[in-house]
Amino acid sequence: MEAGTIVRWNVKEGDTVSSGDVVADVETDKATMEMPVFDDGVISKIMVEAGRQVPVGTPIAIITVDGDDAGSIVAVAAAPVAVAAKSLPINSAPAKIAVAAPNASASASASASASASASAPSVQSDAVRQRVSPLARRMAEEMGISIASIVGSGPSGRVVKQDILAEAERLKTGGARRMDLVHVASPVQSATAVVPIGAGASEVMLSGMRQAIARRLVESKSTIPHYQVTMRFNMDPLLELRTMLNAQLEPQKIKLSVNDFIVRACALAMAAHPFFNASWAGDRIILHGDVNIGVAISLPMERGGGLVVAVLAQAQRKGLREISTETRALAEKARTRGLGPEDMAGATFTISNLGMYGVDNFTAIINPPNSAILACGAAVEQPVVRNHQLVVGHEMQATLSLDHRVIDGAMASEYLQSVKHNIENPATLLV
Amino acid sequence: MSIATMREIEFRDAVREAMSEEMRRDMRVMLMGEEVAQYNGAYKVSRGMLDEFGPRRVIDTPISESGFAGMAIGAAMMGLRPIVEFMSWSFSLVAADPILNNAPKMLYMSGGQFGCPIVFRGNDGAGGQLGSTHSWSVEGLFSNVPGIKMVIPSNPYDAKGLMKTAIRDDDPVFFLESERLLSMRGEVPEEEYLIPFGQARIARAGTDCTIVAFGRMVNIALEVGIELEKEGISCEVLDMRTIRPLDAASIIRSVKRTGACVVVDQSWSFGSPGSEVAALVHRECFDDLDNYVHRVHSADVPAPYAHNLEQEYLPNARRIAEAVRSCLYRS
Repeated sequence: MEAGTIVRWNVKEGDTVSSGDVVADVETDKATMEMPVFDDGVISKIMVEAGRQVPVGTPIAIITVDGDDAGSIVAVAAAPVAVAAKSLPINSAPAKIAVAAPNASASASASASASASASAPSVQSDAVRQRVSPLARRMAEEMGISIASIVGSGPSGRVVKQDILAEAERLKTGGARRMDLVHVASPVQSATAVVPIGAGASEVMLSGMRQAIARRLVESKSTIPHYQVTMRFNMDPLLELRTMLNAQLEPQKIKLSVNDFIVRACALAMAAHPFFNASWAGDRIILHGDVNIGVAISLPMERGGGLVVAVLAQAQRKGLREISTETRALAEKARTRGLGPEDMAGATFTISNLGMYGVDNFTAIINPPNSAILACGAAVEQPVVRNHQLVVGHEMQATLSLDHRVIDGAMASEYLQSVKHNIENPATLLV
Repeated sequence: MSIATMREIEFRDAVREAMSEEMRRDMRVMLMGEEVAQYNGAYKVSRGMLDEFGPRRVIDTPISESGFAGMAIGAAMMGLRPIVEFMSWSFSLVAADPILNNAPKMLYMSGGQFGCPIVFRGNDGAGGQLGSTHSWSVEGLFSNVPGIKMVIPSNPYDAKGLMKTAIRDDDPVFFLESERLLSMRGEVPEEEYLIPFGQARIARAGTDCTIVAFGRMVNIALEVGIELEKEGISCEVLDMRTIRPLDAASIIRSVKRTGACVVVDQSWSFGSPGSEVAALVHRECFDDLDNYVHRVHSADVPAPYAHNLEQEYLPNARRIAEAVRSCLYRS
């Protein structure tokens, strides 16, 4: 998480709050979370109004304790240095929010001496102590730029000259903030100037989710050496079995989808192919112990559209019934209330299925830190050759996108053969 | 100077011209050292000088650095202006007492009665597979001593102009030549010129990073400047010319402009001109620095004999370029 949007404030200036009170809802990359405070005091200043997105570490509010002078604290917080004490920084995990609360007299006297001493440790929270090169600090002062919200590109996040120049450029052009060096070409910025075309043109503001999708997929496609391998499966046995099972399970209100079978087939195949349940880690490859299958779920436009990946944890241990029930529950939750971070964490392999839309085949972009993603088309009824006879049957194409740093082509083919075997002999999926 | 009087000569000839011109100009100037007279110098720096000035002013000495360095100090105290050639500065270590304990302190300890106007000169630095004991870069060791001046030219033009200034200086001057540079050719005018001490030269102008370099290292830093230009990094190379006095003002002026500083010094890093420059820059340019001063020195080991190890031991273009990139957060 690099930035968050204040969806709603539950408090207003002047309200008294106690430790544990939920003061705001914050939208992160993919979920909206409640933000509690860990101090007792008075909300004396709200610095970021609802609806605005700010980088992690930005002061969003000031809580004063007994007799603190809110005005002087505002001056400190606005000074071009880190985050002042007692301001409430937006943070990556609500559970970890540390609202620094040094003793009141120390911070009051420090803040009274105003911004010159604002970098003194006594007015900085340990949690957000920011490293700034001397030159960057001086340039920021001269240019009137606030360093507090800049994510430094130097070692240990040190803010250096180029970060100040980038911030100055951003302020000048009103462009998006560069979050870090990996994303120099910020996915929310277009490389070429875009102008609306036609009288009916309109603009859609980017939601946090849309920004996250843009950022993650640009990162994936530009840093992972992708390639694809496609295989065709005979779906007749599976479809027959599914029809039979669903008829028998109907009283229990269980309805197995084709995708449930594919999830199970992929999960079972991992035992013999551990590199498909792996992550590239720079100097080594991590083979994961659990098979956590991510299932891509599209969201309805009335919920803002977009895409989330729900995670079926330990799928290698789950039967079809459990896979089906859990997937349905996750999809329902995603489309109504929204998934929480725990519903989306820890995927080790992802499946994207557009079969229900009649798609023959497509390729997907790997969901980091996975090493592979399977893109499934529809089981299409068509003329096929079986036992040297031209007959009518159902076939499905599935395309693996792979990280070539982890998986080579022959390995990919062998994995697909295992999945094919599981799908074309579906009784193996029942036991 | 007019272009018509320029000619290209070797570093060794530039040094000889400076000595000869000063000996013609001032009867008190004399040259002494091992093989300087009849053999024309172990490295042919003093070629022809015996013929011109005779054996009373160009004197072959025994292989006894302590003896003839001490003799030169006595001569200087009595009014002469000796030039003492050490075949290599590595050999000057046996003369440590006269050159470090007597010469630099004479003016102070005699209450101003006796000065010590001597030029000690010779080859300094590794680079020719001479082994650990004959590969000294004495700048770190000797620049520590107050009372001396230390000169380290990077090219023939500077060698001549600085040598003439050294001979006219009233203090002991340690003049560090590099064996690797003696055959270097460069433009030197026929007209007389002197280069004052304590005035660095901007050998290459640039905007992104200041490279402070001494002697032979200046030439390597200039190569690096050309290479890094291709990466879009503009280096400013300062040729310091003298270590004592050190032209602090030029360093500060440059670093305040670039915001980044790399020091290239062929002596060992611990207690060296490089560490002195780093301390100076950190003190005077603190608010101008985007990164700490990066330093490139010889490795902290005795100089190796093997060619490949020796090349890696010395500051080289690759190590200097890496330091500049790192200093600019581009590595």
